[in-house]
Amino acid sequence: MCRLFSCCLTTIVLGFGIFAAGKPAFAADDYAFDPVHSSVSFKARHLDISWIHGRFNEVSGNFSLDRENAAKSTFVLSIKAESVDTGNKGRDEHLRQPDYFDTKQFPTIDFKSTSVKAAKGGYEVTGDFTMHGKTQKISFVVEGGKEIEFMGTKRTGFSTELKVKRSDYGFDKKNIGLIGDEALIDIDFEGTRK
Amino acid sequence: MPDPGLFLKATVAATGASAVFVLALGCVRRPEFTSRMNLACVLGVALGLMLGLFLLDLRPDWPPAKGLDRFLTVILPAALAIELVIASYWPPCWLIWTLRLGLTAVVGRIILHDSIYLVGPRSWTAWQMVLALAACGCLLATVWGLLVCLSRSAKDVSILFAISQATICASFIAMMAGYVTGGAAALPLAAALAGTAMASWIIVPRHAIEGTIGIGLVGLFGLLLIYRFFGGMTTTQALVIFCSPLLCWFTEFPKGRRRAPWLVGLVRLALVAIPLIAVLFLAKRKFDRDMGPLLGNAAISPHEFRASEPTGLIHTLAV
Repeated sequence: MCRLFSCCLTTIVLGFGIFAAGKPAFAADDYAFDPVHSSVSFKARHLDISWIHGRFNEVSGNFSLDRENAAKSTFVLSIKAESVDTGNKGRDEHLRQPDYFDTKQFPTIDFKSTSVKAAKGGYEVTGDFTMHGKTQKISFVVEGGKEIEFMGTKRTGFSTELKVKRSDYGFDKKNIGLIGDEALIDIDFEGTRK
Repeated sequence: MPDPGLFLKATVAATGASAVFVLALGCVRRPEFTSRMNLACVLGVALGLMLGLFLLDLRPDWPPAKGLDRFLTVILPAALAIELVIASYWPPCWLIWTLRLGLTAVVGRIILHDSIYLVGPRSWTAWQMVLALAACGCLLATVWGLLVCLSRSAKDVSILFAISQATICASFIAMMAGYVTGGAAALPLAAALAGTAMASWIIVPRHAIEGTIGIGLVGLFGLLLIYRFFGGMTTTQALVIFCSPLLCWFTEFPKGRRRAPWLVGLVRLALVAIPLIAVLFLAKRKFDRDMGPLLGNAAISPHEFRASEPTGLIHTLAV
């Protein structure tokens, strides 16, 4: 009797385990940020006659995608402000000072999504963008999301363009004019998962 | 972008306001003249400072997230309040120095609050933090103590002019290093100190102005910390600027003491100016080299561009 009960219990437990393993996984896929194939570049007006281009060389982050339920997806991005690079050492030093990014006080520029919706060709992401110690809620569309397998690693990528006004983030108004208030930020990133 | 016209306006206004206020309060002579002069000087500096900062449109954010905001909302008001209490009530000596040393102990911590030095993956270790903040506090306390001693024995306003000189030098170097707003914040302080010194010299050429020295030194020290840790100023520049007023002590040697007071004052200012001019000169050279191209000196003619093209082996390797 005892042996019969034990056999039944084992069968139930094993059956449940097999059923659970065989069930399709709807959990979000976590992607590790691939810094080698990601970039954050920007451009801002100079004296309102032309554009200055630059990039941030150190970017990190992570994202998770739930392709069945986009609302469960998340995007997190962190940019090291000190890694600003405009191709001129003197200007980069100037941009790190408190009149601009104040990198010793505000070392990172961060984005953390609060809601994600499916959109045509990608996702519409809303979240908190923190720069220069000030946080603003922003929305943008990230295009992409197609997953491919390359050398045994699953890989996906997204692209987006943001427009931010420096005056919204506590940059000194007296220093807006020489370099325009509005900056266009291009973000392209890839993520990998096993 | 620096606006020299605005800077000049704020500097002149701060000097004028401080001088007129001290002259107005100091001209009415009463038995308690010395303590009233001290009070008038502290209030004069506060008035000039506020007017100058207002004209420069330097309004700190609250809560103060940046070093300069913490300096303007916490450090300067605390220094003014302490010296105001001392000038008004003349508490016992131990209480005076307890208040002043208390302020010296917290200046560094407040300025560096929430910065990468104290918070985050690259922050100092506990020992590094204690050592750095203790060194900052000791330096400020030592220079403050030495200059108050000199002021009591020499009873000369040239010490205030010397601190004002050092503050102007700090302002120019900070601006040349790329921190224009921070550099501008030093101008009203330097101007208010100079205005107060001028007015008190007109009323009575020889008297101690301890309170104003304290405000000037704490102000200069706080600004130098901001320029060093958040701006582009080097440690050597900051140390030279902060310690330069100590050269006023050289006139206290027996030979210097016997000269006419105005001559002693001039010698003090000249001595203090020597290291300040040297650091200014070096900072200007660096500015011309690093920042010159950003200010429009970078245009390259087609001829220069062709001349800079690589040739020979280098060209082959590059291709």
